[in-house]
Amino acid sequence: MSSRELWTGMRGLSAVPSYVILQPTTLCNLDCAYCYLPHRAADRRMSAEVAALVAGTVNRWAAYAPRFSVVWHGGEPLSVGRAALAELMTPFVGVEHHVQTNATLVDDAWCGFFAEHEVRVGVSVDGPQELTGQRVARGGRPAYDQIMRGIGALRAHRIPFAALCVVTDPRPGLATRLYEYFLDLGCYALGINVEEREGVNTRSTTYPEEGVRAFWAELAGAWRAEPRIELREIEWALRYAGATLAGAADELLPRQHDPIPTVAYDGTVVLLSPELAGFTDPTYGDFSSGNVRDAPLDEIVARAAAGPAGWIAEYLAGVEACRTSCPYFGFCGGAHAANRYFEHGRFDGTETDHCRNSKIRLLEGVLDHAGAH
Amino acid sequence: MPEPTDPLTERLRGTAGLGPLLAEAEAVWRTRAAGADGASAAPAWRPFEDAFPTFYQFTNRPPR
Repeated sequence: MSSRELWTGMRGLSAVPSYVILQPTTLCNLDCAYCYLPHRAADRRMSAEVAALVAGTVNRWAAYAPRFSVVWHGGEPLSVGRAALAELMTPFVGVEHHVQTNATLVDDAWCGFFAEHEVRVGVSVDGPQELTGQRVARGGRPAYDQIMRGIGALRAHRIPFAALCVVTDPRPGLATRLYEYFLDLGCYALGINVEEREGVNTRSTTYPEEGVRAFWAELAGAWRAEPRIELREIEWALRYAGATLAGAADELLPRQHDPIPTVAYDGTVVLLSPELAGFTDPTYGDFSSGNVRDAPLDEIVARAAAGPAGWIAEYLAGVEACRTSCPYFGFCGGAHAANRYFEHGRFDGTETDHCRNSKIRLLEGVLDHAGAH
Repeated sequence: MPEPTDPLTERLRGTAGLGPLLAEAEAVWRTRAAGADGASAAPAWRPFEDAFPTFYQFTNRPPR
C-alpha cells in the first residue's frame, strides 16, 4: 500500500452541510468574458415558496451547528432587488447570510440592507481597471467604474467586504501589483481564483508551470511584507505546511465531503458543485439530486450521502483515485467535481488544470518563496 | 497518517526558510485572533473560510 493511501479525510459524503448556496435569479447584469453561467441573460427567479421549503430544512441544520451559512449567489443576487431578496431571506432563522456580488448595484440603500440583515458581503473584482477589463456589461462596456462606485458605498458605510479576484494567465510581475491594489481597496480578505475552464467558459487554462509558480511565490512575498489582508490561498498553503511540520497534516481535511447543496431558482438541488447547476449531459442528465418541491432538502441530501449514485458515485471514485495517486491529496482533498467534468468530460479522472494552477503550483510557489528567503 | 517517507512531506520539512515564514504567519494569526492588530478592516478575525464559504472543499477549518 502506498503511503498516500493513508490520508484519512474526504471519505464519502456527509449528510449535513455547513452551508447552502441559493440562486435567487439566473440573471446577471454583467457578461464577463470568463463566466461559466449558462443562463445569465435570463431572469428566472426563485419563488418565496422555494425559499421557504429550503428554510424548512436549513433552520434545523442551523439549530445544531455553531455557524451555518446561506450564500446568495447568482447570477447577480442583487439584481432581484431588496424587497425580493428580503422576502427570500425571511423564512431563514439562525443563519449567516452571505452575498457574492459584482458590486455594480451597491448603493446607500443596499448598504442599509446589508447592515439591517447582517449580510456578509463578497465582491468580485479583478484588480486595477486594466485587469478588470473582462468584467463588462452586455455590449462590452467596462463595468469597472460601476464596481468602484459600489465599493465606495461599502466603504462609506463601513460595511466590511471580502474580495474575489479572477486571475487570467498568472505570471511573474503580477502578484505584487494585485496585492497592493487590494490593500488600498480596503477589503479584509482576498481570494484568488485562477481562471477555470468551466461551464460555458471554454478558454484554455493551461498555463506555463514556471509562470504560475512564480506568481504564487511573489504573492506569498507580498503578503509576508504586509499581512494586513486575509489572503486565502497563501494562508491555506501555510496552514497545511505548518500542520505538516507539526505532524498533524492528516487532521486538516474534513472527514467527509461537505455536500454543499446548491438550490437553483426552481428548487432543483445540485450537490457538491454549484457550477453544474443549469447544465445537462446525455450521460449524467441535469446533475440534480432532487427538487425541494418534491422532497425535503435534508431527505435529498441524506439519500445521496447514504447511497451515492450516478455522477456522484463516479466522482467519489475519482477522489479515491486522487488519494492513491497524488502526493498533494492531503493538501487538496481531491480535484473538484466541476473541474473534472468540464476538463475531462467525466468525474473519475484525476489531475486537472485547476489542480495544477491553484493547488500544486500554489503549494510549490509558497515553498519556492520560503526556500529563497 | 502518511508515512514520514512521503516525498512532499519530506520536502516541506527540508525547506529551510519555511520555519521562519510559518512563525511570522502564526504571529499574524495570533494577532488577528486577539483582535488587536488595529489595522485590519475586518471587525474581528474570521478564518478565510468564513469570508468565503464557497471556498468549498478547502474546508480545513482550524479548531476554535
